[in-house]
Amino acid sequence: MATSVTTPKLTTTFYNRLPITVPLSSHFLSLQNTLTPFSHNCFSLLYFQCRRRHVAARAKSDNGAELPSHYDFDLFTIGAGSGGVRASRFAANFGASVAICELPFSTISSETTGGVGGTCVLRGCVPKKLLVYASKFSHEFDESNGFGWKYGTEPQHDWSTLIANKNAELQRLTGIYKNILINAGITLIEGRGKIVDPHTVDVDGKLYSARHILISVGGRPFIPDIPGSEYAIDSDAALDLPSKPEKIAIVGGGYIALEFAGIFSGLTSEVHVFIRQKKVLRGFDEDIRDFVAEQMSLRGIEFHTEESPQAILKSTDGSLSVKTNKGTVDGFSHVMFATGRRPNTKNLGLEKVGVKMTKNGAIEVDEYSGTAVPSIWAVGDVTDRINLTPVALMEGGALAKTLFQAEPTKPDYSAVPSAVFSQPPIGQVGLSEEQAIQEYGDIDVFTANFRPLKATLSGLPDRIFMKLVLCAKTNKVLGLHMCGEDAPEIVQGFAVAVKAGLTKADFDATVGVHPTAAEEFVTLRTPTRKIRKSPPSE
Amino acid sequence: MARKMLNDGELSQPNQEEQTHFDFDLFVIGAGSGGVRAARFSANFGAKVGICELPFHPISSEVIGGVGGTCVIRGCVPKKILVYGASFGGELEDARSYGWEVHEKIDFDWKKLLQKKTDEILRLNGIYKRLLSNAGVKLYEGEGKIVGPNEVEVTQLDGTKLSYSAKHILIATGSRAQRAPIPGQELAITSDEALSLEELPKRAVVLGGGYIAVEFASIWRGMGSTVDLLFRKELPLRGFDDEMRAVVARNLEGRGINLHPRTTIKELIKSEEGVKVITDHGEEIVADVVLFATGRAPNTKRLNLKAVGVEVDQTGAVKVDENSRTNVPSIWAVGDVTNRMNLTPVALMEGTCFAKTVFGGQPCKPDYRDVPCAVFCIPPLSVVGLSEEQAIEQGKGDILVFTSSFNPMRNTISGRQEKTVMKLVVDAETEKVLGASMCGPEAPEIMQGIAVALKCGATKAQFDSTVGIHPSSAEEFVTMRSVTRRVAAASSNPKTNL
Repeated sequence: MATSVTTPKLTTTFYNRLPITVPLSSHFLSLQNTLTPFSHNCFSLLYFQCRRRHVAARAKSDNGAELPSHYDFDLFTIGAGSGGVRASRFAANFGASVAICELPFSTISSETTGGVGGTCVLRGCVPKKLLVYASKFSHEFDESNGFGWKYGTEPQHDWSTLIANKNAELQRLTGIYKNILINAGITLIEGRGKIVDPHTVDVDGKLYSARHILISVGGRPFIPDIPGSEYAIDSDAALDLPSKPEKIAIVGGGYIALEFAGIFSGLTSEVHVFIRQKKVLRGFDEDIRDFVAEQMSLRGIEFHTEESPQAILKSTDGSLSVKTNKGTVDGFSHVMFATGRRPNTKNLGLEKVGVKMTKNGAIEVDEYSGTAVPSIWAVGDVTDRINLTPVALMEGGALAKTLFQAEPTKPDYSAVPSAVFSQPPIGQVGLSEEQAIQEYGDIDVFTANFRPLKATLSGLPDRIFMKLVLCAKTNKVLGLHMCGEDAPEIVQGFAVAVKAGLTKADFDATVGVHPTAAEEFVTLRTPTRKIRKSPPSE
Repeated sequence: MARKMLNDGELSQPNQEEQTHFDFDLFVIGAGSGGVRAARFSANFGAKVGICELPFHPISSEVIGGVGGTCVIRGCVPKKILVYGASFGGELEDARSYGWEVHEKIDFDWKKLLQKKTDEILRLNGIYKRLLSNAGVKLYEGEGKIVGPNEVEVTQLDGTKLSYSAKHILIATGSRAQRAPIPGQELAITSDEALSLEELPKRAVVLGGGYIAVEFASIWRGMGSTVDLLFRKELPLRGFDDEMRAVVARNLEGRGINLHPRTTIKELIKSEEGVKVITDHGEEIVADVVLFATGRAPNTKRLNLKAVGVEVDQTGAVKVDENSRTNVPSIWAVGDVTNRMNLTPVALMEGTCFAKTVFGGQPCKPDYRDVPCAVFCIPPLSVVGLSEEQAIEQGKGDILVFTSSFNPMRNTISGRQEKTVMKLVVDAETEKVLGASMCGPEAPEIMQGIAVALKCGATKAQFDSTVGIHPSSAEEFVTMRSVTRRVAAASSNPKTNL
């Protein structure tokens, strides 16, 4: 967990004495009026180093860096999620005066609700993983039977206990986040930020000026407009249901769909997943796509492939039916759409001020996270680059360095590892086999598909799949993939190795940790297949 | 297929190949991790290989062993099975805060687990036998003894003796648990018996501070037993990073194990209520089972080594050079019997290197640098590279220590008070990561990938440039931004300007 943004580990409570919010006062404003010479220097440096294309515009509007600042803040951040908090904190640490605004807390996001911590902490990674933990126990009970444990009665799950404990944890986390900001000397403003001009943000009627504005408003789930879509829930709601779904339809084949399928299945709901494609997890390695679907099916999840919902119907008994291109499936208590997320760029004043967006509404940025307007920047999901918390952290950290430490820094998107907390989970870093063939042509593939020691005792059909994709010419590990217990934890260390450009020989030279699943990655001796684009030259 | 008889030494000049009249190119004594690996790989290189092993039984002795060896029958595998079994105890506690209503009446059926464990090791024993026969290795059941530099005698179960000549002999007989020589020691058990107890002990006393001791303490405690752990030092796990040792001690205590540091056993007395343990502090503890985890000794006594002139050290370990060769040129040794680094994957590495060197025409030496290892206490500890103390002792320069201690996300709801601790030791000048340690759930799994990075000399900057996997524990290893402390190089190795 990134030191700051991953609050679950931030158990420190010494911030608690501090006030929760600091309303902006005129006194505070006047304090901010003196800009340190430090920021001036940074600015002028940057001016030439990384935003050369804006020199002319800047020179006109700013008249150089000699003038004393007339801005309230060096940086005004809109949106206090992972990227925004990281950029703001680092900027403040580098000596900048920073303000950040965020919508009021709610577990469900909207145009008017959000909360300090953002998607990751309130409606994403954290609550999702807590529910994954909760749901995994049912599998562990099954496993434990094979290890001699017996229960008087089958363990039952009480939904309300879980949700209450989860929400208490989220409240704690959002509090910690606020305190982290305040402690870093950042002015936290509750309300909806809107850009008025390249240096002015309006928060619910109050105007704040800033040398730089950072947009880090994230994204929100998107439900396609089909008849009956008003009956459907999205992932925000799915994380905070008042009662357990008896039978749930999940629409979508991406990671969010699979994670929730695992959660609800583990918490003993009947789960049906509707996917448009033949396979789940488009974009992932093909072997992983097949393997995870098979393992999830074995745990009782029903996949409806190439089956797209066209309408949701509500019957008189209140149950929902999903009408698809193939027929109708009845009797659902809930229908959840996990059909993608859209950037929160509506009503931000972007069009007016000249910030360019893609047709999906994502803000277009350059390599330094700069938008079309020189003083406006954007990081995180709102830019729709790689939508992961640690990437937003990287972007936020890089931006703070660029703006306030005279160190123009580009986020590095190569070999970014990621995980899917399906059950079993997936961890991966680097290229899929298909991508590697595209890029390198000749590759060697090593795979392992085995029954872990735990499964031989539990008698459950759990297996583990691992894969290394190598460049045939250089022996470099291009991609590493795993599906099975602890995959996300296992892949992190290997990600360091892949990022460092290590070869298969380096893997082989490493002694295994015995007995673990991970040791298989350093003991793969025989290639499963060698793919050659061009016939051998002999 | 033409046999390769390559060797780095004087023994097998290619032109002498015609004159060899040996029954085997290689005869291996002991079919554990190292022996099986060496036998299989040698056979794959074209050598004619024989191997002998004692009859199978979970509890080893001079005349009992089994194909698979310590790891499969009396070590890693059965131990890990019991650790899995014990871990569910903690899981059940955690489940309740996550909304699971677990009935008060939970039974743990030790006999069932033991039976399944035995089934599993029998299955693996069979797999190992098949691996050997598939590789074309001839397996003999019986006790092997060296009668000459190129002569092995195998005493079979019925007492008949077979004699075979071999160009090379490999000793891979492993080691066995030892009991502390104190009055009443016969009342104690070793790890062999601990893995095969008829009943789950309600009260267990464990003597020893090594990894075997803390693992069994965790196993029994996880299954609900009262456990007292006695060890000589201030902290368990001598040789590991001191800071991590303290973390382990705290966690063991947190899970309900009674720690008795600086304590040893003076005497064991049989009594009505069980075995009475008298400590050197005069304390009395009554237990159903007393486990001695006080070290292991190499199995070299009945190999007839003295007669053929193979040197052993004062612990009885076979002395070998970097290529695993003994002072007798045709006799080699790998694994625990050499008491180098007593780990299964290291024995595998030694076995592989032996086969490559002797039969593969690729002379290679086992590389003991940055060998990762794990202690499967609950929660586990895993390390690779140098401890902070070792790094300081090396005295190569200042070191930077990065530590992270956090409450794992899972505990936020379960309420379990147990920190996960991670540590990186970095060379201040080169920025190379010299050592990594972790104590917490999944530490052994997490450490494997870190070990690859370390082995290849990764720098702290390379760790930092790796993006985290969120939310995981492992991501903490790539997000340690601030130095916890800088430690100057050991003063015994002062820097000069000359």
